Amino acid sequence: MTQHINTHTPTEKTLLKQLYWRSFTLYAAVTPSKQGASGFSYAMQPFLDVFYKGDEKKRKDAMVRQMSYFNTNIAMYPFILGVVASMEKENSEKDDFNSESINGIKTSLMGPLAGIGDSVFWGVLRTLSAGIAVSLAQAGNVFAPIVFLALFNLPVQWLRFKGGELGYTLGSNYISNLYENGLINILTKAASIVGLAMVGAMTSQMVVLDIKWNMVMDGEVVMNIQEMLDQIFVGLIPLSITLFSFYLLKKKQISINYLIVGIIILGIMLSVLGIA
Amino acid sequence: MLLEAFIVALVVFLTVGGQELLGFTMLGRPIVIGPLLGLLLGDIQTGLLIGAALETIFMGVINIGGASSAEPGLATALATAFAINMHAGVEVAIPIAIPLGIIGLQIKTLLYVAVVGPFAVKFDKLAENGDSQGIAKLHFGLWGLQWFIYSLIPFFAILFGSKATQRVLEQIPEVIVHGLSIAGNLLSAVGMAMLLKILWDKKVGVYYFLGFILIAYFKTPLIAVAVLALIIAIVTASRDIDLKKIKQQLTSVPTAQNASQKTAAELEVDEFFK
Repeated sequence: MTQHINTHTPTEKTLLKQLYWRSFTLYAAVTPSKQGASGFSYAMQPFLDVFYKGDEKKRKDAMVRQMSYFNTNIAMYPFILGVVASMEKENSEKDDFNSESINGIKTSLMGPLAGIGDSVFWGVLRTLSAGIAVSLAQAGNVFAPIVFLALFNLPVQWLRFKGGELGYTLGSNYISNLYENGLINILTKAASIVGLAMVGAMTSQMVVLDIKWNMVMDGEVVMNIQEMLDQIFVGLIPLSITLFSFYLLKKKQISINYLIVGIIILGIMLSVLGIA
Repeated sequence: MLLEAFIVALVVFLTVGGQELLGFTMLGRPIVIGPLLGLLLGDIQTGLLIGAALETIFMGVINIGGASSAEPGLATALATAFAINMHAGVEVAIPIAIPLGIIGLQIKTLLYVAVVGPFAVKFDKLAENGDSQGIAKLHFGLWGLQWFIYSLIPFFAILFGSKATQRVLEQIPEVIVHGLSIAGNLLSAVGMAMLLKILWDKKVGVYYFLGFILIAYFKTPLIAVAVLALIIAIVTASRDIDLKKIKQQLTSVPTAQNASQKTAAELEVDEFFK
């Protein structure tokens, strides 16, 4: 693989660097009808300018082709750009290349890669980084935001940087293999384990409710409710509230805003009734 | 108040807008905006606390590829400004900020549909003409326009809304303020529930409870939970890879044998059982 990368011409190396930098702006001008089309087109432009140099007709065709609906996870995005760029190169060199297959591959890649990217990077890595940063911030550590940005961005930027190169080198033939041998599923499962454990840990740490209400008889506390609950299971009520919210979101498709309002009302009621 | 309004608007523009230009690098998350604005307004500790609290509530909110509830960046910026300038306290500032974040998302959606949306046709035309410079200009121009309009919300909210908000805040009875602080602690449950919705899978769901008891009973630091989970994940993944290899060997054996070899294999089996 590294051998292939070394065989890129200096022009191609420059193009791949441009790909990385330009790919940052995918969602700068998102439209409802085509999502990140303008961003994709902007990132692809240097390749088109080089590949179709001297053939204005083909260049315009390619530009129209790249201004199509595009939406994916930003960490996986440079990889798709790389694959599409390699296909545009082939199209510019071979007369019998089916240019429609370019958009076909582009469309078929963005869905699945968005799925993996969203769960691994948005779901797990961001949760991990934010969880660690939040516990630092609660302790008053001013480096919390920097730690958060570094933990999240170092792996993502590394992947984004390497992804473009990899996609361009491997081209479209290779990707189907990645799915067929099932490695993607194993990776997603492993990442979910880390994510779920972190969410569990954060539930215990951050969802807090102290019951102040006690059973009092003749001015004496006969039963401390919070202590009793802790003996059954520490954090029983916060855990139940979280799982019930999850149930409402997942099974009842209830809107998050209703859930937030519901919890604010619950908090006020608990206070008014003197329970917590 | 004018200076504060300007600072808050600038921070919203550079972080919430900035992350759209910089590939969702998470600049617009509460944990970043809270301390940053706290630093600029002269109370970084309050900023940290608000950032931490709102980050947990909005942890599951990802403003891409689908419906979300509120725009966390605007909510954080306004909550931080209210808490610092009006000494509103972290507990009170947060429930006030959430509805503002919801309004923020509505306006963001409106900008996306009404301001940027119509230019999709213009982009197509520029592509047909092969005008790559025009595409680039429009691409960045729309970014600037859209987020400039968006950052006017915090500007005017701070400029005109501060006095009114403060008057309202003074009227809130103590029992409600206490209720809001209880709610503030419970609201993290929503963030966690949203994350569970993304990550939950029956086969690995049990690890959620492992994470929970590691903190609840063993008081493990969060980083230790992360490393422990990572070890479990690596072990699980390598076992899965082994299982996959075995499965491949099992399925590839019969297909590798053609008719003539089958008899040979049968002979081998016969020999084995002799």
